[in-house]
Amino acid sequence: MNAPLPKQIWKWFERTRVGRSIFRVGLPQSNLERAQAMVSSFLLHIQPAKVNRYSLRASYSLGLGLISLYLFLILIGTGVLLMFYYVPSTDHAYNVMKDLQFVVSAGLLMRNMHRWAAHLMVIFVLLHMCRVFYTGAYKRPREFNWVLGVGLFLLTLGLSFTGYLLPWDQLAFWAITVGTNIAAYAPYIGSNLKYLLLGGNVVGQEALIRFYALHVIVLPAVAGLMIAVHLWRVRKDGGLSRPDEPGDIVQQVALSQLPTSKTYGLMELARGTTPQVGRNPEDEVFAWPHLLFRELLLFLLVVAAVLFLAIFWNAPLEEPANAIHPPNPAKAPWYFLGLQELVSYSAFWGGVVVPGVLVMALVLLPYIDRKRKGVGRWFARERAVANTIFTVCLVILVVLTIIGSLFRGPNWSWQEPWKKAPAATEGH
Amino acid sequence: MADGSLRKFYGWFTVLGLLVGGLVVFGYYKDEDREWKDYQRKFVQEEIRRASTAQQRALAERMPVQIRQILLPDLNRVDRCTTCHLAVDDPSYGGYPQPLAYHPLHEQHPVERFGCTVCHRGQGRATTAADAHGNVPHWDEPMLPLRYIQASCGKCHESADNPGAPELARGQQVFEDSGCRGCHKLGDVGGVIGPELDKVGTRRSPEWLKNHFLAPATVTAGSAMPPQKFSEPDLEAVTLFMLSQTGETAPGYYASMKVIPSAREGQRLFQQKGCIGCHAVAGKGGTVGPALDDVGLRRSPEWMVQHFREPQAVSPGTVMPQFSFTEGEARALTEFLLHLREQKVESNLPSLMSPVERGREVFRKYGCAGCHGIDAKGGVPNPNAKTAELVPDLIRVAEGYTKDELKERILKGQREISALDPKRPPPPLYMPPWGGIINDAEADDLIAYLLSLKPGGEESGF
Repeated sequence: MNAPLPKQIWKWFERTRVGRSIFRVGLPQSNLERAQAMVSSFLLHIQPAKVNRYSLRASYSLGLGLISLYLFLILIGTGVLLMFYYVPSTDHAYNVMKDLQFVVSAGLLMRNMHRWAAHLMVIFVLLHMCRVFYTGAYKRPREFNWVLGVGLFLLTLGLSFTGYLLPWDQLAFWAITVGTNIAAYAPYIGSNLKYLLLGGNVVGQEALIRFYALHVIVLPAVAGLMIAVHLWRVRKDGGLSRPDEPGDIVQQVALSQLPTSKTYGLMELARGTTPQVGRNPEDEVFAWPHLLFRELLLFLLVVAAVLFLAIFWNAPLEEPANAIHPPNPAKAPWYFLGLQELVSYSAFWGGVVVPGVLVMALVLLPYIDRKRKGVGRWFARERAVANTIFTVCLVILVVLTIIGSLFRGPNWSWQEPWKKAPAATEGH
Repeated sequence: MADGSLRKFYGWFTVLGLLVGGLVVFGYYKDEDREWKDYQRKFVQEEIRRASTAQQRALAERMPVQIRQILLPDLNRVDRCTTCHLAVDDPSYGGYPQPLAYHPLHEQHPVERFGCTVCHRGQGRATTAADAHGNVPHWDEPMLPLRYIQASCGKCHESADNPGAPELARGQQVFEDSGCRGCHKLGDVGGVIGPELDKVGTRRSPEWLKNHFLAPATVTAGSAMPPQKFSEPDLEAVTLFMLSQTGETAPGYYASMKVIPSAREGQRLFQQKGCIGCHAVAGKGGTVGPALDDVGLRRSPEWMVQHFREPQAVSPGTVMPQFSFTEGEARALTEFLLHLREQKVESNLPSLMSPVERGREVFRKYGCAGCHGIDAKGGVPNPNAKTAELVPDLIRVAEGYTKDELKERILKGQREISALDPKRPPPPLYMPPWGGIINDAEADDLIAYLLSLKPGGEESGF
């Protein structure tokens, strides 16, 4: 059978000396080569050579974690391009936004993609967390990976929040002003925390340069590293959670019980769930192509979705930041509006207790809820109590966020979005 | 490995690959499709049509389609207006429809030096008509309607004596005569009842300002400002003057044109710098230096300009100090001195005026007329005030007040105005304290003026 021309060219290339030096295995033809291709590639080796059929079901994972990862990659790509233009100065930042829009080729498109991918990432990381909760996937041995996930969720919020300030328009300025004021409600350290974040008592040049450094170096580096660890542990913990996992059947031999006078090979130290213990070959397929192709397809889908949003909807840009003309109401970024709504009732409870308790509960969750039941299935009946509690919290948070986003008018007064706001009085 | 399952993948790869590719192409097309390119192509066509020689034609055809921008670091502006308005500096395009029209004042205000938005406002960085003209959400500086364009002249030039901006001068005249300063502070001079007006031109639209003058309460609920009865031209002029108040100051080169050399400006400088301390005009003034009434007959204008810049250069050994006059100021003073030669000026230099005359100027300068009426005749309504619901006139203050009482009243003001009916809201207008704003000498002059108003009264003994 004659392969299509590009494939023939590729085949020729990978047989050349240069091609072999780069790819070693080349396009795999046999199952052996498929396994080799995965194991010998730096970029692919974080994934297993074979993967359980159950984990490939879109209806199980919904691809939410992968989508989050892809959005992160899109953000890095577009973010680096934006960095070529951006100047973290209160004199120039806003003008750069205008130049991106009006004179830089595809500048607005990049900014739009960055903006929408950032919003989507907040949403998809949260959805991913919900998926992991509702399938009980945070239970042993994945407890700490859940904790890392909570950390990544907070990092995502931090990345979005620090990026929010950079356009230096009214929206940015006042959202960060409100957001850091919420941070200041923390007991004892609140005002110092705010001062540390802003490099001063108000949002200004120091805050801009701090947020910029956090946004382009510190947080992406930490997030990238944590994502790597997160994925590594997914692999080391036996891939995605499944109902038929061996779980605790094979206990790991405690290192302290082993004689220390000899050296050990990898197989002797391997944990119970890795790499092959308790697996049925019938249930598994090769990651190349079954996993890889699905991942690639999902990547294309995510890129298409972000491009679509970016082409047809522009990222907002308001008037240049003006410290003496606060909008009314001044609102935090949308993902903090649930908090801001709570703060409007009580600064202490809304700004400190509720978010503090929520984050602590999320971190401690896998160590509190330790029963290994209902793992790997959506909404397992055995987990009805936990699911109910989680759902109630989630719904309250979503409702508060919707209220804060859409139902709050001047002076944080109740205002239905479908009613026209009363004309702001032109006061002196 | 079942090839059937792979075929399904290939189908999806094709669909999604085409989708992504299509979106990239469409996004790129949308990004490249900019309206300014159409304008530039039309301009090229027009240039080709007008070309009379083959060389001109070739030049026009080679004209690149690209963004044009004027970088104005001193003004902190980047103006890309010439990306579409390509012929602003070409007089042969005079009378062409926009965007290809020639800019009439180009010689005095070359676009390379001034850009566009410093006068016309709008959004210089933008490259679409709607965004550039600035009538879009989230842009606070829409283009100034052309009939108010003189509002921008005041940014660089003294407004009163700019021959190119008569409307601006008229607006300022209306503003001063109507006593707006009695309540509103502008450039550090004025009362405290109403808001400061230093940046009002950036905050308010022409429509808002006009409504505000005619019926203040309709645009500012509860405003105490009395409605103004301006004639239509006065209304337009004072609106224009308000629009000129942007609080912006032009730097460097632009500020050097602050003073347009004119006899009137020279006279103002002559007073301000205290020249009369050494030089006499019309028989009054110092005798250290020569009298200046006929200096224009003795000296050439060039000599005088040089004399103002560097007295020693033209009069070695002279005792005249070297003032740091700008070029424009030196030329204005020269104009004034030449003016003295041409006609015997009715000099109204401050030191030659009587206290009553100076007091009338103070009354005018601080906008007392805003409440107490032109020439202190009263008549401005002040609802629920005991004095017939009007601000009292000042014609007869000489009968009820001593000089000291009057001075205290002016400097300390009166916050509480006695109400006609205690159940109604208190009278909105009150006498603000002028201490710290009006200096002592001005206050004495003002009192002399007020006391002189007594009908049939003679000038007090100041």
